[in-house]
Amino acid sequence: MMRAYISLISILISAGLLLAQDDQASLPYLQTAAFNLPLLEGWQNQRGDAFAQFHFAEAQASIRAALLELPDPIAAAGTDLNRAFGIEPASPIYQDKVNLADGTWHVLLYEPDDVTSASVMARRAEAQSVVISFVERDPEMRVLMLTIAQNGDARKDAAAELDLAWNLLATPAADLTEETVFSLPSGQWTGLAGDSSLAMGMAFGNDSYIAIGEGATSKLPMLADAYNRTVLGFFITPDNSGYLALALAASFAILALLILSFFWRSRNIQKDLQLIESLRQAEG
Amino acid sequence: MTAKTKQEPLPQAVAATPMPGLLKLLTMLSLVGFCCALVLGLFVAGTDIQQGEIQRIFYIHMPSFFGAFSAFGLTVVGGFLYLWRKSERWDRIALAGVEVGLAFALINLATGAIWARPIWNTWWTWDPRLTSAAIMALTYAAYLMLRAGIEDEARKRSFMSVYGIFAFTSVLVTLFIIRVVPETIHPVIVGASPQNAQGSFEATSGVVIALIPSLLLWLTVLPITLIWHRSRIERRLEAVNRLKMQILSEQI
Repeated sequence: MMRAYISLISILISAGLLLAQDDQASLPYLQTAAFNLPLLEGWQNQRGDAFAQFHFAEAQASIRAALLELPDPIAAAGTDLNRAFGIEPASPIYQDKVNLADGTWHVLLYEPDDVTSASVMARRAEAQSVVISFVERDPEMRVLMLTIAQNGDARKDAAAELDLAWNLLATPAADLTEETVFSLPSGQWTGLAGDSSLAMGMAFGNDSYIAIGEGATSKLPMLADAYNRTVLGFFITPDNSGYLALALAASFAILALLILSFFWRSRNIQKDLQLIESLRQAEG
Repeated sequence: MTAKTKQEPLPQAVAATPMPGLLKLLTMLSLVGFCCALVLGLFVAGTDIQQGEIQRIFYIHMPSFFGAFSAFGLTVVGGFLYLWRKSERWDRIALAGVEVGLAFALINLATGAIWARPIWNTWWTWDPRLTSAAIMALTYAAYLMLRAGIEDEARKRSFMSVYGIFAFTSVLVTLFIIRVVPETIHPVIVGASPQNAQGSFEATSGVVIALIPSLLLWLTVLPITLIWHRSRIERRLEAVNRLKMQILSEQI
């Protein structure tokens, strides 16, 4: 029976290992040692142990998330762009801050050369920094992604921020007339198209998420959706293993107290019996 | 109430009898099973991406409640059989069931409170499930206190049998309250979770494969083994106490 029990346990552990791997494979999220972010379908997964990276070859675009041992988010953004993409970021063409649910993020846009653009969000996580970046190197297209805090009460449209970003970043600032609505997994986006240009905006919470594309803009909705799903779906799993250790210690302590009380009571019975025996002998 | 009970002959009851083969086997199964259930829960089941490592305490938290359910259930069985047969053996099983069940219920409460701290941001809240679980533990703690306070042996056994049977309602209330009261924030893993539930997670195949062995262990092998050991001790304790009383009465 013991042998059968051990065999059953071995089978269960093996099945558990297989099914746990299966769970991991079917999870819509990518787990790294430090954080989680949605898996992007159709993108090549180039993850490492300490970073997540997806690449879309057709658009020469990459989305990357990394945790760096640097407390300054802007320095961390520069370091990560340099380390991962060989970009030497000079001063950003746009820099701002936004308060999202998980903290204050720095929004940075870089254009280190004629074909490369890097849209970065970075925030401090205790003594480290989280950097989420979108880098594209398609000579036929220029893409910039940014998040802008809405002024005043939250609105359901990103029109004001879209207009602001377009006037600030488009080269040259052309008129956008044709309005299109894109229903994407990340949300409902409003697109304004002009001559070889497209600007998209989505309102979420108190912020507007903007994507600006110039040149061949047909892939912009897909790229904007992928990057913003990454930004909105990114989260750090809290390290609460200390609580797990405490709960296990409490469980073991209660079980140990129960079992020790059995031994203690057995010992007391034995002592009582010895006493009774010695009393009987004394009487005899 | 002075019901006559069947007393065992003293010398036979006092003697330390060797552990039965089945109890030895159950003890071994408990030890091996407990280690394996821990391995499955801590190392085989995947890490929950929302809750992190603390979610693994679920593999002890939920089974420990069902262990308490099983032990308190044996108290009900012991209570009924004592009232019917008037055999001390059934009363000993009922008492052992309460002690083991209470330990399991305390494990359930402690692990739940520790899980709640990082997930609910509080150690305790007066949620219907938590409140009923606390009342359940207090009901069985009161069983032990009341039992210690009644001197007449036959009256004590009969009264505590009835108490043990009725106390089981607190277990059933704890088990079913989250299916009835929609205000709970306690997650439900099997079936639809309440709308207000906080800290829910999906019972994926990896979770189920780690949970089932643990549940089976805590529901069957562990309570039966511990109750058996405890009732053997109680049998000897009662016999020694009788022997003491006999010696005292002889001296008087």
